[in-house]
Amino acid sequence: MKKNFKTLAVGLVVALSLSACANNTPSDNPSSNLGSNSGSNLATDVAVNPFEKFPEPIEVAIGRGIDPTYKYEGEDTAENNLYTRWLKDSYNIVIKHEWEASVADYGQKVSLAIGSNDLPDAMLVNETQLRQMVKADQLADLTEVYNKFGTDRLKQIYESNPGLLEGVTFDGKLYALPETTLPSAPLTWIRKDWLDKLGLEAPKTLEDLEKIAKAFIDNKMGGDKTLGIVGTQQGGSLYSTFLTSGDHFMNFSPVFFSNNAYPGIWVKDKDGNAVYGSTTAETRESLTKLRDWYASGILDKEIGLRKSTQEVITSGQAGIFFGPWWTPYNLTDSIKNDPNANWRPYIAPVDDAGKFNSNQATGSSYIVVKKNYKHPEAVIKMINIHVSEKEESYKTAVGKELTSQEIPLFLIMGLGDQLEYAVKSTQKVLTGEMKLEDVDKLNYGFAYELASHVKNVKTEPFDNYDIQYWDQQKDPDFFTHLYSHLNGGSTFVDADINYVKSLATAQTKTMQTKWTNLKKIEDETFLKIIMGSAPIEEFDAFVEKWNEQGGDQITKEVNELK
Amino acid sequence: MLNRGIYKHYYLMLLPGLLWLAFFNLLPMYGVLMAFKDFNPGLGILKSEWIGLENFKYMFELDDSKQVFQNTIFIALLKMIGNLIFPLLFALMLNEVKNRLFTRSVQTIVYLPHFLSWVIVAGIMLDILSYSGPINQILSLFGVEPTLFFANAPIFPWIVVFSDVWKEFGFAAIIYFAALTSINPEMYEAAAIDGASQFKRLTSITLPSILPVAVLLGTLSLGNILNAGFDQIFNLYNPSVYSTGDIIDTWVYRAGLLDMQYGLATAVGLLKSVVGLVLISVSYGLAYRFANYRIF
Repeated sequence: MKKNFKTLAVGLVVALSLSACANNTPSDNPSSNLGSNSGSNLATDVAVNPFEKFPEPIEVAIGRGIDPTYKYEGEDTAENNLYTRWLKDSYNIVIKHEWEASVADYGQKVSLAIGSNDLPDAMLVNETQLRQMVKADQLADLTEVYNKFGTDRLKQIYESNPGLLEGVTFDGKLYALPETTLPSAPLTWIRKDWLDKLGLEAPKTLEDLEKIAKAFIDNKMGGDKTLGIVGTQQGGSLYSTFLTSGDHFMNFSPVFFSNNAYPGIWVKDKDGNAVYGSTTAETRESLTKLRDWYASGILDKEIGLRKSTQEVITSGQAGIFFGPWWTPYNLTDSIKNDPNANWRPYIAPVDDAGKFNSNQATGSSYIVVKKNYKHPEAVIKMINIHVSEKEESYKTAVGKELTSQEIPLFLIMGLGDQLEYAVKSTQKVLTGEMKLEDVDKLNYGFAYELASHVKNVKTEPFDNYDIQYWDQQKDPDFFTHLYSHLNGGSTFVDADINYVKSLATAQTKTMQTKWTNLKKIEDETFLKIIMGSAPIEEFDAFVEKWNEQGGDQITKEVNELK
Repeated sequence: MLNRGIYKHYYLMLLPGLLWLAFFNLLPMYGVLMAFKDFNPGLGILKSEWIGLENFKYMFELDDSKQVFQNTIFIALLKMIGNLIFPLLFALMLNEVKNRLFTRSVQTIVYLPHFLSWVIVAGIMLDILSYSGPINQILSLFGVEPTLFFANAPIFPWIVVFSDVWKEFGFAAIIYFAALTSINPEMYEAAAIDGASQFKRLTSITLPSILPVAVLLGTLSLGNILNAGFDQIFNLYNPSVYSTGDIIDTWVYRAGLLDMQYGLATAVGLLKSVVGLVLISVSYGLAYRFANYRIF
């Protein structure tokens, strides 16, 4: 295996590199796309070709997150590789790294750059950072360059993802280019080979899950030290919050969701007023549940303490955890370690009414450009190039799939229904219902890639995604992509999910000063309650304290947002 | 003025240190202005709006601050005491061993951990003290239920202190070894002739001879009372031990870097520095008084 995606962050980036691939799809008729774009832009007052090569080399200095374990071709680096050389040769866009940071330290490095006002020309930031930069007036207004230089394709992508651009427009000015987040919800991942061995049914409710975990432990499915349900590791969160809404890998969100509790986000109470999910009675109940599980050994004793939860997944000690559809990107080590490890996702646990709930993932990554940077159009051009089909010359130059590690300012950019289309068309091509040529390669490039490789990887029966019906050797690069899309993705897109969106998706005024403290008492109290080092009554004290120390004021502010 | 020529090369040798101090400690000082401003990175430190003592006021309103200061002082104080007593005891004991090869090798081995980064030591500690780690396995032989040491708030600061002492005592003992070798051996010989036992020699000659060094190190370390060790605790703690393990530096890290509350984080850091300055002055005075130690 050329790629070895160990961490969540890397996994995510790569899971999402599908769209990079989408955009790298070599094109047979490059003129169709390029032609139409330049044509339409000719109609505007200035004749601007969004793909035109700059007459002089234009330097774009960026801050870059790097995966230190990633293996480049030959002597290539993140700064100098197939893609960046091609950008330079074909477009005169020269990528310079102002600084590099590992994926884990990237956010911190960005915060430092913002705080010291020592900014690269362009970089990727998260939502809190974006707002801070807007407030500090550090960003270039991209409205004009976007309208002038953005290709039709780029605009079409944003149009198919309603609300995205509005979210980054402040006082009528466009300050960032947002990522088109793929939908996500935490599913329950279980070793189906263990289920089968014990003759157990697939879970539906929390109680089923409890029984399965208990059976796994009692029958020592993972050896003497079998763990029940594993999740949060050191430094991790117990559930995704409104600031990290897509953080669905390896935490305990589903236990809360199945009880209609939404800790960490703002929801409406029965009178329609905003209330912080972590302070509701439902959350209290869920904590009681987790506490019971912990006491009876169903929950990993070392939740929140492990340096890496993935380690116990890989070593085969645990058979249950929660994760989104792209989880298989992080299971390659587990499968390598035990070829029988048959991880399958389940739409469980459901609530009393049988509904499967999740919080809704909102924005994640944004490209921003420094104020006073002379060539914001170069950044727009880079994105144009990133989302468009590549010319023939690129095909011969690259001839390889590239990821966020090669492509600077990498964002997932695709039409709103890209995941669903990719899964459905791949399934249909596999069964022969659809011809490969009929896959919409122009708009869903990666779906086409998946569909063209699927027959190398998936063996009969085509509708059974258990691990024994896959050929892992023949096309190892695409095995991971397809295994994730068909095993995880198909379950996810077919599921009927009740999404709950947070009323606030960024920090309000009071939060900026009080949130550190409030989050601290929340994290501390919840973990202590679960681990049994504090009584459940501590929850009521927490709610009171939380309201007193600024929560009341913040809730008022969120109510005004509504 | 008369001695100027003689001291010239000393001043020259001092120069790199002074430059370092100026660039890395004095120059960045103007950043403390942030504590009194509503810091806006886009405007920079000078142009941001003055808000007076707003940040400090808020800091004292926080429930957290009191607890965080208490934790810091508690952990730092225990570390000071531990790092004073254990190296001293160790040096005294090893000094009584006559086999040179043995003392030399022990000395080398015990100061090795000093050179390990806390990231590594913390990883080892987490493993050793984990639920199914060796310590819990040994305890279970005696019928003790396994416990999670790192989720146990009352125990956490003690683990922090213990691991810090374990990591540093070998290195700290070097100074005592140096002091021990400077004791005139004739005193021991004279005492032996007068019939003093080995223990008597230890309490009457060795201890008084190195006591000034111990007092000096002790008083000088007072200035560190608000430094409880960021990298150690950051690598060991988790939310369930915030009540006893969250220290000023980890709190400032979360507020300043993760939540971007620059002003507040600077205010807390500034307060820490002011208290540190006062304590260093006091300890210098004490050191002068009791150990006759002076720089100026």
